Amino acid sequence: MRKFLMNSENRFRLIVLIILIILTIFCLTPFVLMISASLTDEQTLILTGYKFFPKKIGFSAYKYLWAKRATIGRSYLLSILVTAIGTVINVIMTSLFAYPLSRKDFKYRNIIAFYIFFTMLFNGGMTASYIIWSNVFKIKNSFWALMLPTYLMSGMNVLMVRNYYMASIPDAIIEAARIDGATEMTIYWKVILPLSKPVITTITLFAGMAYWNDWVNGVYYVSDARLYTINVYLNKLMTNISFLKSANSLTEGANLVGMDLPSISIRMAIAVVAVLPVFIIFPFIQRQLIKGVVIGGIKG
Amino acid sequence: MEIRRKTTSKKSKRVNYIPFYFMMLPGIIYLFINNYLPMFGIIIAFKDYKYARGILGSKWVGLKNFRFLFKTNDAFIMIRNTVCYNLVFIILGTIVAISIAVMMTEIGKMRVAKVIQPIICFPNMISMVIVSYLVYAFLGNSGYINNTILHGNGISWYSEPKYWPLIILTVHFWKNAGYSSIIYTASIGGIDPALYEAAKLDGATKMQQIFKITLPIIRPMILMMLLFSIGRIFTSDFGLFLQVPMNSGALYDTTQTIDTYVYRSLMELNNVSMSSAASVFQSIIGFILVIGSNLLVRKLDSDSALF
Repeated sequence: MRKFLMNSENRFRLIVLIILIILTIFCLTPFVLMISASLTDEQTLILTGYKFFPKKIGFSAYKYLWAKRATIGRSYLLSILVTAIGTVINVIMTSLFAYPLSRKDFKYRNIIAFYIFFTMLFNGGMTASYIIWSNVFKIKNSFWALMLPTYLMSGMNVLMVRNYYMASIPDAIIEAARIDGATEMTIYWKVILPLSKPVITTITLFAGMAYWNDWVNGVYYVSDARLYTINVYLNKLMTNISFLKSANSLTEGANLVGMDLPSISIRMAIAVVAVLPVFIIFPFIQRQLIKGVVIGGIKG
Repeated sequence: MEIRRKTTSKKSKRVNYIPFYFMMLPGIIYLFINNYLPMFGIIIAFKDYKYARGILGSKWVGLKNFRFLFKTNDAFIMIRNTVCYNLVFIILGTIVAISIAVMMTEIGKMRVAKVIQPIICFPNMISMVIVSYLVYAFLGNSGYINNTILHGNGISWYSEPKYWPLIILTVHFWKNAGYSSIIYTASIGGIDPALYEAAKLDGATKMQQIFKITLPIIRPMILMMLLFSIGRIFTSDFGLFLQVPMNSGALYDTTQTIDTYVYRSLMELNNVSMSSAASVFQSIIGFILVIGSNLLVRKLDSDSALF
């Protein structure tokens, strides 16, 4: 051991490893606290507060969620629905849009690319977006409010996908397909998409994450409780809690139970349930996601 | 080339653009509605906007909204907060991201690296609403810090602005440090190992290798990332400043940024004039900064410029 540490290189590596492990623990700690709080018996929680190792375990929070499955389950399903539909439309629109732009024989490709690029340089600001969406298109309190603003397609992704097509699909393949009489749509579907799986996976993950985690559209455009996705639901819950706290500063737990607002452990349980899909999916997608960040980060 | 000319007739060599237009149409329409219409919507900031009259029907008031906005104390606070937080995020963030990347590369061959990297990136994958719950579990009245560390005689964190710069910073780095290091880890991974071998033979220490080899090689990358973040210095992470402080009014002094001001005056105070003035101010300064920083990148390293 001493011999191992005498080597300065080994010593350096050991220190690095220790720092990184501390960092890893730092990243995980809040989740542990959240999960343990959601599993703590409610009375114990009011008495002793949040603890990493609950004195008394109780599943009342999850029982409550199950009893309330009509409302919470509804938000959950809505989140899934919005994420699924939004992601599919996003990926189709993006990959389809990028194809003509990647074709060197398309005369107007630079003009269109600039049309996209300019949206990355300049924007009208949130107030103008809000007024256009809500007063001109009247999407407030509709399913479209969760779907349309901001996330349906991003100019940056279109350009990223175009660059990928250009760099990794040889012109000769497209040319061969054309000579065989394939229509452009067939080329896109049978040649381009199968050959660009890595970048398509990347934008699918980015879009899916953006939709699942979104609460901004909910905060701006939705006040109807039937249209709360799980993140919007959590956000409104937090807003109500802070409103009540500012109204009177009694001890929170006891006060909120009377107001039919979910108590502390239940709030944490809802949060656990909202992160759960990300928790489960993340180990499988993380490699692709990290690769995607690198692909996307090369330009812009 | 010549073979193709022989086998294809003159007509089919010409590309028919019409299918292309159909493929691009949804995207073009979406960008027009989602991005270009709001650009024209900037005129709202120069009008006394009334919902009933619509955008074009409202009365033109010129720069009045802006004059009004900059007379308020809010303008100073939100600009100061936005810029100062961003400066700290950029400077500290770059150092943190590169340090993590160097460390990750150092243990890159060990098996633990495959576990550590995803875990430190994970906080970036969850929404700010969830983050606000996590923070609340620590800082709430019965939260971990007040109850367990301070034994009940705690601090009411959500009404004391002076603690928030530190809290915001901690949360920001907890969420972004790992994720922002990915790009540097990738570019350090691309450096030729022979360079380090040669340095080792010459007796260079680890630190010397980092400062004399790694950093100079990824310098263009660092510069590029720096300048792009300077282009966004007037934009703040809306969720970080709205959700994490739980939209608490007592904390405005240290948590109000341009984005939260735009939101609050539009949605909570129904003050379209002030909200639009602030948001247009943000997007115009943002535009100037993006163009300016890109010009700088082009001067320093024309390959990494955006345009």
